[in-house]
Amino acid sequence: MADTDDEYVQDISDDEVEAHQVTRGAGGGSRATGQGLRGGGWEVTRTWENVVEGADGTINSTVEGLLEAGKRKRLLKDTTPLQRGIIRHLLLVLDLSTAMSEKDLRPTRYLLTLRYTTAFITEFFEQNPISQLGIIGTRDGLALTISPLSGNPNDHIANVQKLHDQEPKGQPSLQNALDMARAALFHAPTHTTREVLILFGSLISSDPGDVHITISALVKSHIAVQIIGLAAQVAICQTLANRTNPSLPLSQTYTVALNEQHYRDLFMRATTPPTTPQSTKEGNGVQSSLLMMGFPSRIVDPSPTLCACHSRPTRGGYLCSRCSSKVCSLPTQCPACGLTLILSTHLARSYHHLFPLRNWKEVSWAKASVSKQTCCFGCQMPFLDRSTNNHRRQSSGAGGQNHDRIALGMTRGQTKTPKIVPKTQSAASKDGVSESGRYECETCGRFFCIDCDVFAHEVVHNCPGCQSREGILQAQAHGALDIGEMEGLEESQNS
Amino acid sequence: MNAVDGSDHYSKTSDEPPPSLLTIILDTNPNAWALLSPTLPLSAAIANLLVFINAHLAFNNANKVAIIASHTQRAEFLYPLPAHEISPHINGSNTHNGDVEMADGDEPTVAEETSTDDANHYRPFRQIQSTLLTSLSTLLKTTSPTSLTPTTSIAGALTLALTYINRCTLNASTTSPNPTTTTPSDNALNPDTAPPPLHPRILILSVSGDLAHQYIPIMNTIFACQRLSIPIDIAKISGDTVFLQQASDATHGTYIKLEHPRGLLQYLMMGFLPDQSCRGFLVAPTAVGVDFRAACFCHRRVVDVGFVCSICLSIFCSPPEGAICLTCGTHLQLGEYGEKPAVVAKKKKKKRDMVDGKAKEATVRSRPG
Ligand SMILES: [Zn+2]
Ligand SMILES: [Zn+2]
Ligand SMILES: [Zn+2]
Ligand SMILES: [Zn+2]
Ligand SMILES: [Zn+2]
Ligand SMILES: [Zn+2]
Repeated sequence: MADTDDEYVQDISDDEVEAHQVTRGAGGGSRATGQGLRGGGWEVTRTWENVVEGADGTINSTVEGLLEAGKRKRLLKDTTPLQRGIIRHLLLVLDLSTAMSEKDLRPTRYLLTLRYTTAFITEFFEQNPISQLGIIGTRDGLALTISPLSGNPNDHIANVQKLHDQEPKGQPSLQNALDMARAALFHAPTHTTREVLILFGSLISSDPGDVHITISALVKSHIAVQIIGLAAQVAICQTLANRTNPSLPLSQTYTVALNEQHYRDLFMRATTPPTTPQSTKEGNGVQSSLLMMGFPSRIVDPSPTLCACHSRPTRGGYLCSRCSSKVCSLPTQCPACGLTLILSTHLARSYHHLFPLRNWKEVSWAKASVSKQTCCFGCQMPFLDRSTNNHRRQSSGAGGQNHDRIALGMTRGQTKTPKIVPKTQSAASKDGVSESGRYECETCGRFFCIDCDVFAHEVVHNCPGCQSREGILQAQAHGALDIGEMEGLEESQNS
Repeated sequence: MNAVDGSDHYSKTSDEPPPSLLTIILDTNPNAWALLSPTLPLSAAIANLLVFINAHLAFNNANKVAIIASHTQRAEFLYPLPAHEISPHINGSNTHNGDVEMADGDEPTVAEETSTDDANHYRPFRQIQSTLLTSLSTLLKTTSPTSLTPTTSIAGALTLALTYINRCTLNASTTSPNPTTTTPSDNALNPDTAPPPLHPRILILSVSGDLAHQYIPIMNTIFACQRLSIPIDIAKISGDTVFLQQASDATHGTYIKLEHPRGLLQYLMMGFLPDQSCRGFLVAPTAVGVDFRAACFCHRRVVDVGFVCSICLSIFCSPPEGAICLTCGTHLQLGEYGEKPAVVAKKKKKKRDMVDGKAKEATVRSRPG
């Protein structure tokens, strides 16, 4: 692998050098993507050909279009309501072998992984506040516990920070890591998911026995294994992902990261709770059950009293809804009666997975000119009208079929190392940019700007229009609104 | 100059605190205000509110304000109004790096020339006052008697407030010296990347209760505020709302229940005027206890012990009929409902020992090569 050379540029004329995107992998030989793309040889995108000057002689209009395309690309995702395993048990397996000291991902695979892991831990508990996470490392043919299974993000982050002092060394052992993960997940209750996420930088695994036996044991304990490769596809990882996720396509369970941004995207994808198939009784391990939980109220005592969890005198705390013992922090389990005590805000963090906001539709000029809506309903930014926007529309129209490629060229431009063009992503962003800069919520018929579109779908998960329109409260007052909405959504998705 | 000094110095270059954007959500439910009229009529409340807004604007030349009505059935902007009013407003944000002469020289207001007679009225104050009063009377005139409900669309108003704050933050960050190329959601996810160009906060003047029907959208907005670190302040004039208390607690805002609604201005000036940069130095009025109860999905009843579907996390006040979750339709194992879901692994120690044992075993067996 030592001959993998990022800076290596063949003898092409100087003015073309910086525009060329050099793919890697001819030296390494085997870097391929999970989608079956082969990064062999050269791949060149002529991004400069797609940049069209606007009427004012600048490329601002094109750049704006590209930014919008980029924002929109990340936005258009599946909004089908699905059953998701929201209470999760996830074990993260980090490869700490010598392969991780490669510098093909900047600064090194190892440091980048540590940095992303910290971000992952934070995001994981944002998205899955009542879930459990554990971290396992593998090096020198061993598996070691980095951070035991727990629900406290700060512990995990502190434990991961300690890895900064260590160097990656030796060879990884998939089997030992998987065995350790299986043991840690053994006690996970049946209504939770059992997941393992492996970040695998090496191309080999040094195992004490037959790893296939371990894989069979994982299948038997309903543990789903996802793998993010950092070097190239490895046959055993493919087998592992296929066998432990029989219902999912390989592209969702085993992917090789192409560049830093792609790596991050893949990693962060694992923070979204996994979908569970409808038949929960047999097959996979997630079983549904009804859990009794308490939503305690916070109190402040005039004088300190002992808490039930640490027997320390404290003034503030939460009273168990069932037995009124005082606990210090939530979520926790009542030490006296065993009731799960949580804040309803913890549960609410997952609701947008259950009631996703539908994607908004692009508005054509024909429709926009008929409508009386002249500014964004959410933020009041006035929309451009057709005449003032003419030059911009022309330029974006000229690059219409190519803007996805430009957008990718731009994202790659931010990171300086040469990359393989992720073609599969460009397919998703083919459409998505509205020619009029307006996006319409089909439920309430309001128009929104791109920023509100992104914000509403990624941060608030509410439609400003739907929430403030006449009649919504009456519909909600009749109860069962959510069920009605869910069914309506499902029907429209199926049709 | 070494790198550490340079970065430290750079981050402290703007010595004045960033301007703050105060978004006021005014609950305009006519029923509730009618009930309140003996002690605090709406007109008096608006007058008090205007004084408070003027005080906020006087604090910093670049401070901004937005007022949103949370009416019985809809939410609407009262100030600023769309289209012709919005452009001077955005221009105003550009001038905060400049100096005083921009304040009245740069505002091409053409619409508000009617009440120019009052020369003693500072122009921005007057502009807000006339816009607010006009739009409020329009709002009340267009209210049909059929749409009168005891509740208020606080979720819609909060969502509008958030989208507006998002817009202002974007505008402010593009005018700041080092524009970031990140998208709003990136900023949302990494709030520590750049110093905030704007301190947004939300103040809700709440008079009506019964918000359980908007449980999910309200929770979504609370969560969004939490991520963006936007405090939600609550001035609870009347009514009972469990969720607003949670909103202010989760977002580190101030919650004040007004014992004497007549003294609204006093409460506003003392409790809600300081912005985020000041609050660090003040002892904020705190609510003694916070009601963290949730609303059940089946009857919208507020419960303190609920039954939660492990698949979709819907909350029910009692085990649903036929053991079928009303939201996701999953058949739930009823027998287990008393069982404890493992939130904190109590037997962590034991488990780790076991795992370590496994590792040691693996060590012995493992021979690289
Ligand atoms: Zn304690
Ligand atoms: Zn208890
Ligand atoms: Zn907008
Ligand atoms: Zn809508
Ligand atoms: Zn109920
Ligand atoms: Zn359910």
